[in-house]
Amino acid sequence: MEVTQNLSLLHLILQASVPVKFVLGILLAASSMSWWHIFLKLFALKRAMADTESFEKEFWGGAELNVLFQRVSENREEAGEIERIFEAGFREFLKLRRQAGASVNVIMDGTRRAMRAAFQREMDGLESHLSFLATVGSVSPYVGLFGTVWGIMLAFQSLASVAQATLAQVAPGIAEALIATAMGLFAAIPAVVAYNRYTHDIDRLSIRMESFMEEFSNILQRQATKPA
Amino acid sequence: MNYALPREDVTAGLLAAAVHGFFVLLLVFGLSWQIHDPQPIMAELWQSMPEPSRPAPIPSPQPTPAPQPQFRPQPVPENKAADIALEKKKQQEERKKTEALALEERRKEKLLKQKLAKEEERKRKEELQSKEEARRLELELQHEAAQLEAERVKREQEKKHAELKRREDLQREEEELQQRMLDESLAREASQIKAKAAADQRASEVSKIVAQYKDMISAKVRGNTRLPDNLAGNPEAEFEVSVLPTGEITKVKLTKGSGNAGYDQAVQRGIEKSTPLPLPTDKSAAAEFRNLLLKHKARE
Repeated sequence: MEVTQNLSLLHLILQASVPVKFVLGILLAASSMSWWHIFLKLFALKRAMADTESFEKEFWGGAELNVLFQRVSENREEAGEIERIFEAGFREFLKLRRQAGASVNVIMDGTRRAMRAAFQREMDGLESHLSFLATVGSVSPYVGLFGTVWGIMLAFQSLASVAQATLAQVAPGIAEALIATAMGLFAAIPAVVAYNRYTHDIDRLSIRMESFMEEFSNILQRQATKPA
Repeated sequence: MNYALPREDVTAGLLAAAVHGFFVLLLVFGLSWQIHDPQPIMAELWQSMPEPSRPAPIPSPQPTPAPQPQFRPQPVPENKAADIALEKKKQQEERKKTEALALEERRKEKLLKQKLAKEEERKRKEELQSKEEARRLELELQHEAAQLEAERVKREQEKKHAELKRREDLQREEEELQQRMLDESLAREASQIKAKAAADQRASEVSKIVAQYKDMISAKVRGNTRLPDNLAGNPEAEFEVSVLPTGEITKVKLTKGSGNAGYDQAVQRGIEKSTPLPLPTDKSAAAEFRNLLLKHKARE
């Protein structure tokens, strides 16, 4: 029995008109993409949080700046966002410090700019594909609705050629059309939830990084004013 | 930029696929659970409807016989008194006459010599005559009175007769009315019985047509069914087919499988291919095919 029922649902989708099939295809693609990104983003943010946590612990735990810099610059590929910001800032600071005649202000400005640039890059990386989730969340219900409306239109059109209209005649068409709405909602709801959740997480991360940058700048300024 | 590690790419892809698989399962099974009747409804197909138990005929009201007024003609009271009086007087008269005759003879003998007595006798005779006349007058009067009385009685009797007749007429009318009502109810009953007989006849005709078309449908489905090659035995499957008045099939549902899924599906496809089904032009017969329960055997 279940086999035939499965078949009938499959039939329903396969017998759908071309626009409805097209809509279903788009929605399926959007849904898979958005879910893929949801999982990718989930992993990336988890990793970023963990990295930030452990680096901050290490940093404020009194580790030697030079040692930290050495370790981070040696394996840049595996470093976290905040480590890369630290590395960019410290590298610039060292470069400027080596140049003769550079005032403290010039050194600090350069360092800040370097860290800000690295921060922007990292934020861009973190926020990438979030707009995709937002788009899927807001658009796919409409796409699904379009498929549904089209399917219902066709169902009623086929009804016009029949002398005696019965519910059984439109019911399959409407059911098939409603699959499109279900598909659209299925794509949209997780995308919207994930989008909101991830924006919040990224905001928190960025605040943490910015405060780290400010505090690190203070430390560097103290070092710069100290006679080398 | 390490937005994603290569390992994570694959994991995320697999997870996304898993989510979609879950969604498809939900859709399929959720829908099929909705569609599924937990227990298929079985119905027996009857070629002809069983005779509906006919309601007992309402007993026609028995006309209660109107009480026959027992009319006994009262004996006419005879005018006896007058007659008796008359007879008495007659007897008296006769007696007196004979007495007078005897007296006369005696007196003749006696008063042949007595002229005075003769005179006296004459006087008495006259007296007697006058008396007799008076008596006759009285008698006549009495007779008249008796006649009057008789007339009165007769009139009374006539009146009674008229009354009786009137009552009889009334009763007859009533009886006629009842008879007419009875006739009418009988006629109505007869027409009902006739209508019922006609309906029965029509039902049998319809069932004949239905059977004929069922055979035609079975034959058509059989022609369109491609049986699986390795079919063993003679499995029988039962389908519920929703048919439009035009003969188009809107839904085919398996209600009782034969146990051989391949055969069931083959027959279902055969039924679907048989659209439009041949339907009788007769409307009441066609109505039987709206929701058709089709039993299909592999071989006849």
